[in-house]
Order: sequence, then structure tokens, then C-alpha cells
Amino acid sequence: MTTVMDVQNTVSEKQPTDERKYKMIAENVSVYYGGIHTVKNITMKFKERSVTSLIGPSGCGKTTFLRCLNRMHDMTKNARVEGKILLDGEDLYSKEVDPIYHRRKVGMVFQKPNPFPTMSIYDNVAAGLRLNGVRDKKILDEIVEDSLRMSYLWDEVKHDLKKPAMELSGGQQQRVCIARALAIQPEVLLMDEPASALDPIATQKIEETITELAKEFTIIIVTHNMQQAVRVSDYTAFMYLGDLIEFDETKKIFTQPKNELTAKYVQGQFG
Amino acid sequence: MMSSAQKRAEYRSLFKHNVKGRLVVDKIAMGVVLACVVIAIIPLGSILVEVFKNGLAALSVEFLTQVPGAIGTGTGGIGPAIQGTLIIIGMSSLIGIPIGVMSGIFLAEFGDNKLGRTVRFFNDVFMEFPSIVLGIFAFLTIVLLLGHFSLWAGAFALSLIMFPIVARTTEESLKLVPLTYREAGLALGLRQWVVTFRIVLSAAKNGMITGILLAVARISGETAPLIMTVLGSSQFFGGFDSPMDALPLRIWRLSLLPYDSAQLQGWGAAVVLIIIILSINIGVRYYFATKNSAKGKLFYRVMGGRKR
Amino acid sequence: MTRLIDPPLKSLSALMAEMGDLAIQSVMLAIDSYLYDKDTATQVHDISNEISKKYFQVADLTFDIFLRYQPVADDFRLIRSSIEISYGFTRFGRYAYDITQVRSTFGDISECDKSWLVEVAEKVKTMIKDSVMYFAELDIRKALTMQENEDYVDRLYRERLPMLINSQNTKCALAEALVLRYLERLADHAMFMSDAINYIVTGKHKLTKQFMVKNTIDRDFMQF
Repeated sequence: MTTVMDVQNTVSEKQPTDERKYKMIAENVSVYYGGIHTVKNITMKFKERSVTSLIGPSGCGKTTFLRCLNRMHDMTKNARVEGKILLDGEDLYSKEVDPIYHRRKVGMVFQKPNPFPTMSIYDNVAAGLRLNGVRDKKILDEIVEDSLRMSYLWDEVKHDLKKPAMELSGGQQQRVCIARALAIQPEVLLMDEPASALDPIATQKIEETITELAKEFTIIIVTHNMQQAVRVSDYTAFMYLGDLIEFDETKKIFTQPKNELTAKYVQGQFG
Repeated sequence: MMSSAQKRAEYRSLFKHNVKGRLVVDKIAMGVVLACVVIAIIPLGSILVEVFKNGLAALSVEFLTQVPGAIGTGTGGIGPAIQGTLIIIGMSSLIGIPIGVMSGIFLAEFGDNKLGRTVRFFNDVFMEFPSIVLGIFAFLTIVLLLGHFSLWAGAFALSLIMFPIVARTTEESLKLVPLTYREAGLALGLRQWVVTFRIVLSAAKNGMITGILLAVARISGETAPLIMTVLGSSQFFGGFDSPMDALPLRIWRLSLLPYDSAQLQGWGAAVVLIIIILSINIGVRYYFATKNSAKGKLFYRVMGGRKR
Repeated sequence: MTRLIDPPLKSLSALMAEMGDLAIQSVMLAIDSYLYDKDTATQVHDISNEISKKYFQVADLTFDIFLRYQPVADDFRLIRSSIEISYGFTRFGRYAYDITQVRSTFGDISECDKSWLVEVAEKVKTMIKDSVMYFAELDIRKALTMQENEDYVDRLYRERLPMLINSQNTKCALAEALVLRYLERLADHAMFMSDAINYIVTGKHKLTKQFMVKNTIDRDFMQF
């Protein structure tokens, strides 16, 4: 099975001709929590089929920013979002756009694995589909298998899909959540510290999954683990106190960062 | 100036070292707690024992299926009362549970505002209402309106008792469902109400069922409201519009009679009532326990255990 | 707040500093041994061995740091270059020793004409000292001076060697050729080290002359 190193070798071969377009662009995005300016005017561009990691000390706004990308803040009281989020050129925050429609294009995986507790593995993965109106059993079976294969869980659970999802281990649960997010055929996948609650082996599997998925999807990860950012992402964004301090290729950020604050942070000199 | 090792040794010596003493205190505390539990259970246990002791003798096929015989003869049975209790529980549940659940959902999902707080407050007040007052209210509204005692009035009164309980417990169970499941649902591009009804509700199932069963048990035993709404009768079901017998009523009437045979029948009726309540409880839990997965620990789950 | 990586980094710096001092010492002694006919062979030999020992210590330490701490950014570049720089120091020791061996092998060379070598030797001595200083201070202007010195050494080397073909005294010619060669090698390795140090400062392996000039001018301006 492909490891991170195998893929990175091929990625570095692909380096010279990077003609990937921008899949998602965040323009002057600001978030106010009860009047406090927590995310300050951030502009970031995400290339298709790339992995971008957001790093920064706790409270710097990276998770808040991530949640803007699929309008999760609609659900939060006292939160106000300004700016544009363009997905394939269309502004997600414009009045004409139905947030539900765009949340299907931008999937999310959360920090703590949260498979629906009363449902089996199959039902969990199919939840997004069924509850959005897909009824055909054959198609559901197909998509569930495809999604579980993509999240590297198929071989482990294919013999018992009716098992309650809560009976799986933490790493497996997280992969169920990834499969669930993939089942609705998103184009962008947002991940909020997807491996932070997992053991090292599970973490490794999740990272391998991410690297494989990057061949097809645009992935944006928030991570506290800098080695993970180095292993897994093509681009890295460093945020501090709500500002975007530096955004560049991961290799550059971790060998020769332009900003002194970035250098201090990645070397563990604060935060 | 002490070295840190010495300092630590000094700190350590400050701790009390009466391990034996503390074990004794531990045991005493445990003993006190157990004693309280026993004291609490004794009356409950003895009630059950009394009731079954006195009432089992009265049970027979005739007793369970016949209409009451002439007063004082000891013949006949409590057939209509059983039927009436079952019907009225059913009707009240049909009215009370949906309203209660909907209110609970409203309060939990959309109730974080002034309206919600007001509703919650009145709900709590309502729960404390003496059931006889609710009975009078039902009398004034339904009985006087329709002109006669009826099952409608009884069901109405009992549902008034039911729905605050159901609403409260539903709200609490829904609130216990972690936010993360709602977020996961939203992130899948589901609408708010789909998330609430299809995901959150099924996660809160256990708590809600407990609440509903509590409410059902409560109304099965209510007598006062029934007195002024259903009135009681000696006949089997004769239409929703007519008075009907119910076990609490029958027990009350039988217990007032001076005859031994009547008393015996009263005990018998009490046994039947308790058995009905127990069966409803166990039956519903059994149904939901098997629904999830036919795995072991069935007994554990039927008794309301939670998976860790 | 000291990070976990700071103590081993300090050990590394100390080791490198020691290696640098030893390298300078060995080269000074070696050049003087030839120019002024002093017998320093055993001394230089010991110093060279000492440098080699330290090189292995540095190698162990740097890989240990990579294994444990996965350094990034400045730390990463420093440690990565340290491996190359410490190798450079061993080469200095080695060539110094080779120079002393010329005197041992050829015996009495007091009558040989050493005038051509004096200037070159001075430049090489400066280069060795500069390389150690550059590593210590990370002042990119040193790279410029070193480049100039290396150009000089190269030029002289290419000029002088053909002349030696026509020399009357075979012994002196050969001895001088060898020493010139070793001096040229020393200069070369000093430049190799300069490149490694450039990487620490700028993140680039090879700097163009324009880049260096531009950066040194900016630096000078900033001083005012």
C-alpha cells in the first residue's frame, strides 16, 4: 500500500509543472465572536488536489477560519463572518447560495471521531446519502464500499458492516467519519486535527489516507503536530493571533521561513 | 537551606498516616449509605410483598374477565376495570406523548430565548399541579361541555399530567446529546430539522423512553382525575362517549366497601395494576433493546443499562 | 525557556568550535614547517587524529538530533551543514599533515626557493581562519572575501605549476608542486565549507556573485 514517502517522491517529480488551478479562495475573511475580531482579514488560496495545513499556537484562529470554509459558523451564536469564500469562483457567503448545497461540496472531519452513536458502520457512511434523498440500495452499497475503500477501512470492516460504529477503535471510528464525509462526494475536505485523538499507528493510517485522497480532492488540515504538517502537506499556512503570518510551500516554511515569527514557532521557541 | 529531597520528605511526613483509621471510616460511610438504601427499599419491598400476599389469592380467570358482581357477594371480577385502564393509558399516551415530545424538542433545540424560558417555567409549574385540580379542570371543560362523563375527559386529564413530564425528560435527553453529532450532521449538508429528528432524536432515545415510561406509570395509578372524568362503571367498554371503569377507581371503590370479599378483590386489582405497569415497562425496553442488535447483555439493556 | 534541542545544539557548537581551532592550528604549523623548516610532523599528526575523532562525534550527535527532535528551519540548516563543515575540518587536518610529510619525505629542503609559496600560504591561512570565523559569526561578507582569496590561489596555482616543469632542481620542484597542490586543496575545501555555511544563512546552496554583493551592500547600509 502506498506510503507517504512513495507519494512524496512522485509529488516532487511533479513539481516543475504545477499547473493546478485554485479550487478555493478565501478573500479578506474576518470572523467576529461577540464583537471580538478573532480572525483578521485573511486571504488564502488553495490549489486543487493539494494538501494545505494550517498551523499556529492555540487560539490563533485556525479552527475558526477552517469552519468558515463550510459555513459552520451559521450554527454558532454571536459569530459574524465577513469576506468571501470562493469555491470554483462562486461565493459561498453570497445571499443566493444555499449553505446546505455548499456543505455538500465541502466536507468536514472533526477532531474527536463522532460517528452517529445509534447507527451501524453502513448506516453511518450512508447517512449523508440517505438523509439527502438517495434511496437506491444498489447505489448506496456502491458508494459505501467506495468511500470505505478510500478511507482504508473497507478490508477491516467489510465482513460486518452492520456492526455498531461505536464498537470500533478510535482510529477506525475516525476513518468511518472520513468515509461518511467522502460519501456525499465533496470536492474539498476540511479536517480539524483529524489524528490528534488517535494512537500513532492510527495516526499513520490517517496520514496515508490523506495523502492518497489528495490525488483527487483538495484537502485543508488544521494540525498541532508540525511533523505531521511536514509529512503530509504541500502548502502550509502559519497563523498567529488571528493573522496570517506566512503562507508558502511546506518545504520552504520548514527549512527557510521568511518570517521570523514563523521560524520561532516551528522551532518551538514559543506556543 | 534544605535540599529538595529533604523538603519532599518533610512534606510527606505531614500527611496523616492513619490508614487503618481511614479504612474504618470508609467502611462506616459505606455502611451508612447501604443502610439508607435498605431503609428506602424496605417500604417499597414490603408494599409489593403485602400486595402480592393479599391479592394473589383473588386472581382467577373469572376475576380477570368478568364484570363486577353484586356488591358484597364476592362474585364477578374486574374485567371492565382492566380494559378501562388499558384504554385510557393508550388514549392519554396518544395525546400526551406526541405533544410532550414536540415541546421537548422545541425547548431543547430552539428554546434558548425568552419564549423558551417562559415555556419551561410554566412546564415545571404544571408538573407540580395537584392531579385533582387537573381533574376538576377536565371536568369543567370536557364533561360539562359534552354533558356526560366519558373516556375523552379522562384521557384529556391524564394527558395533562403526562405531557409536562415527557417534555422535560425529552428536553433533558436531547440536551445530553453532544454538540458534535449535530455538527457532523450539519457538515453533511443536512437541514436543521433532519439533523434533529433523524440523528439527535435517535441518540436521545434511551432517555426519552425512560421519561415516557415514567409518565405512563404515573398516570396508570392516578385516581383523582378519573373520579371526575371517567366516573367508573360496571360495564365493559361502551363507546368513547360513556363513562368507563379503571383499576385505580375500582380499587378505591372496593376498598371502601366493608365486605371481606370486596377487600380481597381490591387487593387482587392492585396486583393486576402493578403487573400491568411492570409489563409495559419491561415490554417497551425489551423491544428497543432487541432492535439495536441481537447481542448479549440483553438483560442488562432491558434493565436500562447504558453501553460504555 | 530552553528547548529540549538546545543542550545538544550547544554541545554541537562546542565540538565545532574545538574542531575549528584545531584545524587552524594544524594548518598554521604545517605551513610554517615547510616555509621555516620546522619539524612539526608528529604534532600535526596528533592534531589531525584529534580532528577525525571529533568528526565522528559530530556525526553521531547530528544524526541523534535528527532522530530525536526532527529539527526544522534554522536548526535544521545548521545541523545539516555541520556535517559537511566538520568533514571540511578533517580535510584541513589531513592536508596539513600531508604538507608536513613533504618535509619528512624530501628531507632537507632549506635551499629551495619558497618565495612563490609565501603569498599563497598567507592567503590560505587567512581562508582557513575565515572559514572558522564565518561559521562562528555567520557574517555573509566573509563568503565574498573567501571567494576572492580562492580565486587568487587558483590563479597562482595554474601559473606556477608549468614553471616548475622547467626547474633545474627536481627535488625542490617536486616538493613545491606537492605543497602547492595541498594548498590548492585546502583553499578548495575552505570554499566547500563556505558554501555549506551559505546554506545556513540563506537556505541556498550556491550563491551567485551578484547575490552576495547585493546582500553585503544591504548589510553595510543597515549598519548606519
